[in-house]
Amino acid sequence: MSTSVKSLVNQPYKYGFVTDIESDTIPAGLSEDVIRLISAKKNEPEFMLEFRLKAYRQWLKMEEPNWAEVGYPPIDYQNIVYYSAPKVTEKKKSLDEVDPTLLETFEKLGIPLSEQKRLSNVAVDAIFDSVSVATTFKEKLAEHGVIFCPISEALQEYPDLVQKYLGSVVPVADNYFAALNSAVFSDGSFVFIPKGVKCPMELSTYFRINNGESGQFERTLIVAEEGSQVSYLEGCTAPMYDSNQLHAAVVELVALDDAEIKYSTVQNWYAGDAEGKGGIYNFVTKRGLCQGKNSKISWTQVETGSAITWKYPSCVLVGDNSVGEFYSVALTNNRQQADTGTKMVHIGRNTRSTIVSKGISAGQSENSYRGLVKIGPKAEGARNYSQCDSMLIGDNAGANTFPYIQVQNNSAKVEHEASTSKIGEDQLFYFAQRGISMEDAIAMMISGFCRDVFNQLPMEFAVEADKLLALKLEGSVG
Amino acid sequence: MSIQVSPINPVSTVALERSTYLSHLLDLAKATSNEIAWLQEVRDHAVLRVQEQTFPTTRDEEWRFTDLSDLLKLDLVTAAPADATAAELPEATHRLTFVNGFFAPALSSIDNLPDGLAIGNLSSLATEAQSYLGKQSGAEEVFTALNTAGLTDAAIILVRKNAVIDTPIHLQFISSASQPALIQPRILVVAEANSSVTLIEEHGAIGETAYFTNSVSEIWLAENAQVNHTRVQRDSQTAFHIGKTAVSQARSSHYTANTIDLGAKLSRHNLEIYQTGEQTETVLNGLVVARDQQLSDTHSTIALTKPHGMTRQLHKCIIDHRAHAVFNGKVYVPKAAQLTDAGQLNRNLLLSPKARVDTKPQLEIVADNVKCTHGATVGQLETDEIFYLQSRGIDADSARKLLVNAFAYEVLAQVPIDSLRQSLIDHVARS
Repeated sequence: MSTSVKSLVNQPYKYGFVTDIESDTIPAGLSEDVIRLISAKKNEPEFMLEFRLKAYRQWLKMEEPNWAEVGYPPIDYQNIVYYSAPKVTEKKKSLDEVDPTLLETFEKLGIPLSEQKRLSNVAVDAIFDSVSVATTFKEKLAEHGVIFCPISEALQEYPDLVQKYLGSVVPVADNYFAALNSAVFSDGSFVFIPKGVKCPMELSTYFRINNGESGQFERTLIVAEEGSQVSYLEGCTAPMYDSNQLHAAVVELVALDDAEIKYSTVQNWYAGDAEGKGGIYNFVTKRGLCQGKNSKISWTQVETGSAITWKYPSCVLVGDNSVGEFYSVALTNNRQQADTGTKMVHIGRNTRSTIVSKGISAGQSENSYRGLVKIGPKAEGARNYSQCDSMLIGDNAGANTFPYIQVQNNSAKVEHEASTSKIGEDQLFYFAQRGISMEDAIAMMISGFCRDVFNQLPMEFAVEADKLLALKLEGSVG
Repeated sequence: MSIQVSPINPVSTVALERSTYLSHLLDLAKATSNEIAWLQEVRDHAVLRVQEQTFPTTRDEEWRFTDLSDLLKLDLVTAAPADATAAELPEATHRLTFVNGFFAPALSSIDNLPDGLAIGNLSSLATEAQSYLGKQSGAEEVFTALNTAGLTDAAIILVRKNAVIDTPIHLQFISSASQPALIQPRILVVAEANSSVTLIEEHGAIGETAYFTNSVSEIWLAENAQVNHTRVQRDSQTAFHIGKTAVSQARSSHYTANTIDLGAKLSRHNLEIYQTGEQTETVLNGLVVARDQQLSDTHSTIALTKPHGMTRQLHKCIIDHRAHAVFNGKVYVPKAAQLTDAGQLNRNLLLSPKARVDTKPQLEIVADNVKCTHGATVGQLETDEIFYLQSRGIDADSARKLLVNAFAYEVLAQVPIDSLRQSLIDHVARS
């Protein structure tokens, strides 16, 4: 190990503050009564309660999976608060009526919700603990027929739409954490883009965990009708607690004929301290269904936070000529563990998928790429290209790749490449020679390493992601 | 992936069937004779190992794509010696032949051994084998332990210090049974410091009777030793073949494996390399040709432990008809294995719409100053290439054959014996 690239120093997490706000929290624990209580609190239609109870009963029969390359003490599911919401939850007509403390919180997080300071051309749904507190630009979107609102609101106003698509991509009993989410999810975003509409602005959801005992279980559902297009971004942060909080979200995307969905994530949950104490367990199920012909779903993720990340944003390519994409940067530092990747399931003819995964592991972290490319017997002419590169910083970090390739059609073409590298001493020397400091040099190299992925992010967020990565690795040389 | 379940009480019936089958296999293994005192202890220990385990199912990650249910239908008996004829390789002057796992001295050729070479069966080299046999890592795996539990004879090759053996040694395993038998060949190779040897291991059959070959090879390379090992599996199309090759390499040793899997209804080869010293080199070339309903599975593991290790792996599969190929290539690079240079490439050629491949190249890396790459491709013959050959007056069928043969040749060219290489090229060309 070179002396110039030393082990990483932990960078203070600047979103780690706690908002002191009175909240409506139910006691910890999970039972059918709790589920009925959540459903009642949200005044949900009957089918939702059935959906939840079905999921809960399935969940009871399931076992927590243990195949991932991550380790953590057993989770006590009876010790988690399944519903926590800032008090005075009736929906505000105008943003001016939202609790100023909350507005201030989001202001501090860099997500201004008040009218004057809004990010230009980005509509934001802000979710605090389990509940959506504000959604911006709703009216402007409604003009185009785009529905962008909290899922709890959608359940009141568009129950038929939600019922039609909810659970259609990720069935209630899909996996342990998806079943748990289906039983207890409290809020999330719902997006519906009608036929032929190109969503006029970026949509964004910002998730914030505040309560120390609560888990966050949000559910996102995006439906893009024939010929429509949407770009969606999610971001997330949490305060610093010594305990671990569970975040088990489910995201479902449905793209009909010729529709296009672009889903970007910048994940910066609290990662725990340098000794691995605290942090979020991020166990998420994300799946997109390219149901229609020529549809396209693209996932871009920048994973920098969470004590443990365990997620595989996937594409099920059913429609002929449909396209799935996955671009990922996963950075782990200190004791973080990430087991992430994607699944591309080719079912229709001439379906294409691209996977670009970049893993950076520093400190004593573990970073695994786990992916599946499956070409079904009817996927004539299917095509996949996968590339997963790992960069190791320091000799205590681990990088693993587990790519599964299953091909049952001889007209398919699948290519997979992987490489592992490090930041070389001579490269650093070369930069130093040109008067560029070690830190800047490393930031540049990391940024270059991740370029393919950052290029996929919407403009504003690409800049943010670059900064975020530089910040995370700050102090990594000495 | 198919899991066979009967409608009533699915899990327990299958589990029961599998556990009784495993104990039946163990009974067959235990029934074999043994006249060597120290060996009994090794066998007894392995019996315990088997008893601790269960018969693998597709629920086990290691057997996810290889369903052994068909093996359960085979009513096996203990193997018995039989007559056979040896197929000689003109280049190999020394040969050990085993029929149904039993040493056949009449078909072997162990006279006029050069200095520094000792070959023979277990009873002739028991003392020399004692400190190595059954000592290789991974001995606890269920089929390896099953082989050890029934260990009655083995092919032993000892290459003494500084001995350089010029002519290849031919190890021939012939199955010739009138009813389905459990055949358990065993090989022990010890290459002492600075020695060099070339081995040809061949598995084949006479007749069409189904059988189950469960073979284990243990290979030890001391410092600076060089072993070039070619393993050809041409078992009967009705047979089941599970093979293990475990290799441990000391400092600066060089091991090359050319594994050619052509036969068996279901075959599985576990290739395990343990680099225990610095600057070790490992080259693995693999070719699988699977046709009809064949299933051919290769699981390779390369575990590096010391700095400056080098590995090169090329694994190619040609899959036709309804055949199914499985490849799982693991490479472990722990923190101590700095400056490792590991490369792995898996290429699969699917020739028919019903052919299937499942591949998983797997890298687990902790050391930071390493160069590790892997690649996997799945594809078919390029229409452009066929067209190009056609434009030169070669008909489409011949063009296709040429391209398939060329795909295989990259691996076959590595086989160090001319006559064997030619016979393999002919075999691939015929299929």
